[in-house]
Amino acid sequence: METLIFEEKEPFLERLRELAAAGHSWRTLQLHLPWEVPEVTEILSVPAGGLRFFAMLGGLSGFLGGMVFTIYTVTTWPLITGGKPAISLPPFLLISYILTILFGSLGSFAGFLLLARMPSIRGMAPEQEYGNRFVIIVREGEAP
Amino acid sequence: MESLDPRERIERDVLAAMGRPGWKYLAAVSLCALAVLAGFALWAYQSIRGLGVTGIMHPVGWGVYITNFVFWVGIAHSGTLISAVLFLFRARFRTSFNRAAEAMTVISLIVAGLFPLIHLGRVWVFYYLFPYPTQRQIWVNFRSPLIWDVFAVTTYMIVSMVFLYVGMVPDLAIVRRRFTGLPGKVYALLSLGWTGTLNQWRHYKWLYILLAAFATPLVASVHSIVSWDFAVSIVPGWHTTIFAPYFVAGAIFSGTAMVITLVYPMRRILHLERYITVDHFENIAKILLFTSLIISYAYIVETGLAFYGDNPFEAELFRYRSFGDYRHLFWLMVLCNSLLPLTLFVRRLRRSLAYLFAIALMANVGMWVERFVIIVNSLARDYDPYAWGTYTPGGVEIGITLMSFGLFFLLYLLFLKAFPILSMTELKERL
Repeated sequence: METLIFEEKEPFLERLRELAAAGHSWRTLQLHLPWEVPEVTEILSVPAGGLRFFAMLGGLSGFLGGMVFTIYTVTTWPLITGGKPAISLPPFLLISYILTILFGSLGSFAGFLLLARMPSIRGMAPEQEYGNRFVIIVREGEAP
Repeated sequence: MESLDPRERIERDVLAAMGRPGWKYLAAVSLCALAVLAGFALWAYQSIRGLGVTGIMHPVGWGVYITNFVFWVGIAHSGTLISAVLFLFRARFRTSFNRAAEAMTVISLIVAGLFPLIHLGRVWVFYYLFPYPTQRQIWVNFRSPLIWDVFAVTTYMIVSMVFLYVGMVPDLAIVRRRFTGLPGKVYALLSLGWTGTLNQWRHYKWLYILLAAFATPLVASVHSIVSWDFAVSIVPGWHTTIFAPYFVAGAIFSGTAMVITLVYPMRRILHLERYITVDHFENIAKILLFTSLIISYAYIVETGLAFYGDNPFEAELFRYRSFGDYRHLFWLMVLCNSLLPLTLFVRRLRRSLAYLFAIALMANVGMWVERFVIIVNSLARDYDPYAWGTYTPGGVEIGITLMSFGLFFLLYLLFLKAFPILSMTELKERL
């Protein structure tokens, strides 16, 4: 395992380009970054990941859950209030809209934890803290 | 001459704010804690004796408690505007304000959430507000705007908390590295094991965009829903379609004023002048001015509608609002929210931080008064002259209102010491 540590971004990106040209991909390299570096995504052609689907799933379940819940509760004991029909779609859509946002946000957060493999006990007390440095770890046996 | 690495300097400067507190900080915390204790004691007294200890009486059933609720929910809005909306629009100056504004959002929602409970009187039956299965299968009325409020404000609070926490995760990993002992362990736990791997960053980037996208419609919808508490009724002065955008603009105006109120002293006390510049304040001042113009326009439109609409009750209410029992508050509102902010058209005044701070304080006063004017005038003078009356808040209500300010500043002061108040990761990224 070879660990390459860089103080500055430019030399790090230069070395990363060389490794990419040599056939390394985002799967064969372990990177630690002090902040998000968009160039890395381009150099290693990192795919977007599936978080959007968690957001969509959460949002959809919130919307449908809101509709089902409001209609179910109002039909369980159909009290007429304010002369409005028992199943009043405008206010029910409002509840569904709010639950879309709530479940969409929580779904996104849960998806992030799952995909980023967090919380990580090992990460809470890492063997090596890299601070503000850019790190490339080339794993042995995983070279192209 | 100092030759510290700029990234190290950011960490040092921001984390210095989390150091051992000085006597001024402790004095401020004690003062706020005292206000909170006194307020909770008054709430306990009110719970035992009943709402009769307040000034709330027929016909004014919504007094300063609902005023406070609407005010504090409004304060929350600018936090989401600065953190989510400005993020989506790639406004660089947001980095200086976003953490403070996000914390302000969560804290003001906590404070706001207390007021419906205080206003209930019988607070121990608060769970009636939520839909829960009962033996008789009677559920909440989803056609009622008060239930929309419960859903909207609770959702807003949860989403804001997630957004604030997610934004802090990379910074908490830095704090973990800098602290030892028990605090270090707590921050390690809170950092969720963040080590800045490529896999973490690629999903984090998407998470932040998605949360910003989910939070952005909340800026418009939450205070629209709060405004519908009033607008769906047929009470003169409340029953108008402009209430939603009018309330949202007012919310952003008051929230922006509160951000300035918090950040100006914080910048001086914590020596953050290097990161929060006069240019940044000028940009925030422009938001303040812009939203002030929108609410001034709303004041004119609603008055115009009242007289153009040929509804005598509506016209009388607007006459009463301007020249009746609460006229002094009405004109104070116009002065603080519409006239004084116009001076921010002058660039020199916009860039004078002490002046901007004074304008922000006046805007806070003006917006609280605006909520009071809207709520109380309409209830004091609706259709039937036999049901007219006036309202004066009692000592309990004033004490509990002061408690809300004490609680807000107390939680904010505690946040300052417990978490990094600027996003170190974003500041480094922008070097």
